[in-house]
Amino acid sequence: MSPSADSRHSAPTRPEPGTERNGGAWLQIREPLPTWMYWALGVVPIAVLLLAWFAVTAGPIPEERLISPTILPSPMEVVRSFPSLWFDRALTRNLAISFSRVLAGFVAALAVAFPLGLFMGSFSKIKAAFTPLTVFGAYLPIPALVPLTMSLFGTGEAQKVAFLGLAFAIYLVPLFVAAVDGVDDTYLKTAYTLGASRWQAVSKVLLPISWPDLYQAMRLGFGIGWSYILLAEMVDVGRGLGGIIITSQRRGPREHIYLVLLVIVVVAFLTDKLWVALGRRLFPYREATR
Amino acid sequence: MNEQQKVGPTVLGKLVLIVFVLALVAGAAYYFRDLLAPGERAQGTVDIDEFRKVEAPDTKGVTTVNEYNYVPAEKLPPVKGVSSYSWDAGEKVVQFPINVWIGWLPIVAANHGFAPNDESVFAKKHGFKVNLRLIDDPVVARDAFAAGESHILWGTLDMMVLFTPELMKDSRTAPRIYQQVDWSSGGDGIVVRGNIHSVKDLKGKTIVYAQNSPSQYFINNLLLNAGVQPSTVTHKYTATAFEAAAAFVADKKIDACVSWAPDIYNIPEKVAGTRILTTTAEANKLIADVWAARADFAKDHPEIIEGLVAGIFEGMDLLKDDTLRAQAYQWMGEGYGMPADEVEAMAADAHSTNFAENKGFFLNANDPANFERTWKNITFVYRELGLIDTPHRFDEVMDFSAMKKLDAAGTFAHQKDEYRAQFAPTTYRKVSAESPILTQTIRINFYPNSANIFEPQHDASGQPIKNTLYDPSVSATLEKVARLVGQYERAIIAVVGHTDSSMKGKGTRYEDVKALSTDRAEAVKRALVQKYKFDENKFTVEGMAWDQPADPDDPTNQALNRRVEISVYPPEAQ
Repeated sequence: MSPSADSRHSAPTRPEPGTERNGGAWLQIREPLPTWMYWALGVVPIAVLLLAWFAVTAGPIPEERLISPTILPSPMEVVRSFPSLWFDRALTRNLAISFSRVLAGFVAALAVAFPLGLFMGSFSKIKAAFTPLTVFGAYLPIPALVPLTMSLFGTGEAQKVAFLGLAFAIYLVPLFVAAVDGVDDTYLKTAYTLGASRWQAVSKVLLPISWPDLYQAMRLGFGIGWSYILLAEMVDVGRGLGGIIITSQRRGPREHIYLVLLVIVVVAFLTDKLWVALGRRLFPYREATR
Repeated sequence: MNEQQKVGPTVLGKLVLIVFVLALVAGAAYYFRDLLAPGERAQGTVDIDEFRKVEAPDTKGVTTVNEYNYVPAEKLPPVKGVSSYSWDAGEKVVQFPINVWIGWLPIVAANHGFAPNDESVFAKKHGFKVNLRLIDDPVVARDAFAAGESHILWGTLDMMVLFTPELMKDSRTAPRIYQQVDWSSGGDGIVVRGNIHSVKDLKGKTIVYAQNSPSQYFINNLLLNAGVQPSTVTHKYTATAFEAAAAFVADKKIDACVSWAPDIYNIPEKVAGTRILTTTAEANKLIADVWAARADFAKDHPEIIEGLVAGIFEGMDLLKDDTLRAQAYQWMGEGYGMPADEVEAMAADAHSTNFAENKGFFLNANDPANFERTWKNITFVYRELGLIDTPHRFDEVMDFSAMKKLDAAGTFAHQKDEYRAQFAPTTYRKVSAESPILTQTIRINFYPNSANIFEPQHDASGQPIKNTLYDPSVSATLEKVARLVGQYERAIIAVVGHTDSSMKGKGTRYEDVKALSTDRAEAVKRALVQKYKFDENKFTVEGMAWDQPADPDDPTNQALNRRVEISVYPPEAQ
């Protein structure tokens, strides 16, 4: 499988700008890369980071390490705590719980943000009406809204989904508006020349042409849920990955905090791959034009 | 391509194959479900009888003040390696984070505000400066302490029990506790909806509180003392006590919350049908605020530790002066970013523990609410709840060396124990008009027709055998009661004796049975007063004879019926 659909390395037919000008320079602008190099270059920083982690936490005697295990346990200690995270703290169940919360919040946000973004991108009056709200939203420190969601949605699942939905929606609406905004006027003019009605212009021109960008916005936005999972799970703590982190911060083991972060990284990687794969099926023409 | 000869299964065939494979995968997943997606380690059933017998019987019997006579340094874990905290030997500024809590008023007074300065008691008398910083989030405070950015960690003793196992992984960050700053005295409390009158009514209900906080200790200690399995209550957790209060107000399905002042007092005023079940105004020796120093810092600078301890006691002296007190509120308000009058409104949340009270807490082995007992009780509760695996001993964190030095020097001999509730004699009838906060049932095996709880065993001819006890666990049982009574220092305690009904209708006079049950309750009271020096008037004693079977559905379960019930009543009941 090829690693990433949106990256430019997989388009070898493209003429290479800059090759003539920069000759044999190591860094070329928009240079096509072979797959192995694409992967290798991605692995290097991760390996460096891991090595640094090993280095600062090396040593059997806690007092002789560069960073004390009460702050940062060593990679091996983190790995060794995996069974206790898996069995004692029910990693898989909590992962499923968190994932379904993120997913539900995302779907809830889409239900509002998608039509809103589409209409804002299409109709100037709607855009004028809602732009101030979206701008304020982007500046809001969302954690401050936790108590509010609690009084509106209680302390159960609904509150978590609502809070995550809010965070998603605030992030997604501007991206959706930009996607629809980005459709070239030429398409609209052509449609009008052909006698398209207002709704046809939206449903047959703006929406289909902006689809790939809307999809791209969703892909980028999906990660936001994981950044807010800790806040969402602050109420009725105990279940979900955020709950595990909050609990481990208070009574240990410290290893679980870093382990959960690693788990989230793996989940993020896999979900992103899923988005890319789905995108390639949905918009094969996008791939070809690049 | 459609001209090609199709080889392989048909569409239906493929479908069947896929369904078959999926079924296999699902079956395997189900078979290995405990391996793939294990449930959280279940919280076991707490052996409540075990909870009552946490210690081996104390054979010493009745003593008064019994001071620890070991040397703390021999029990504390030694510090290894090179000290790793930030320190400027020229400036000598102790980084001392605190939370928003009135208990820090003495150190704010002693330090003349939050910032390090030359006017402070610490600078003038002890040769170093103190930087008080507001770090309200315990996790942040703990991380700053572990990283060596602060030298001191604030916390309640129950928080220290949870933090200690992790911090002890590095001998330099092991916490050393030198001083109690205050008892929470009205600052923590439990608010319930109207249908709950006593802790036992919480069975089957939903409660909300901040996990890993004093709230968790408060409520679970009560549940265990009232004989309610924590697993029979639905626990909802929040990250902070404020959110617990907000969740309780927002969600009518939640029956109780554990939170802090001022929320616990505001909710009953604003939300109809809610009331306060109990607060630390009654359980006034339950939640202890302390500070701990990094072990490496304490080892390098013992004189600074002594200066901190002494300076905080001096701050308590300063606060006796009304002008200085008003000034301290002002300083604290500036440090917290709130008006001085709001700071003053918190004054009743905590009781600052002066030298005499600290001496009792750290040095008196017989004090029913001392460091050792509080630590052991917390450890027991948290271990039963599955929150800690490997608890640490109290003498691995408690260091009374500074307290002993001050005692020997007599610097604060003028500070007397001011935290003793006064009780007027009262009657059971009057006290029991209200419902108790909680009732603890204890079982002491009395020798037939005897009211002596220390009755020896008897040989076949009925002669007492020396140095034996009819009930060998009686001291442990008393210890458990003493802890509860000690925690509820300000409350009224009713000791009610019950007998079995085996002789009912067999010619036994009711008055004799009643007298026996009263005598047995009286014996329990007497033993408690003698060993733990409780005020006699704190107790009211009653005998119920055989009138109240333990289990109304099974009135002839005589083993259950022979019992003594210890009920905790709010102080207003007297």
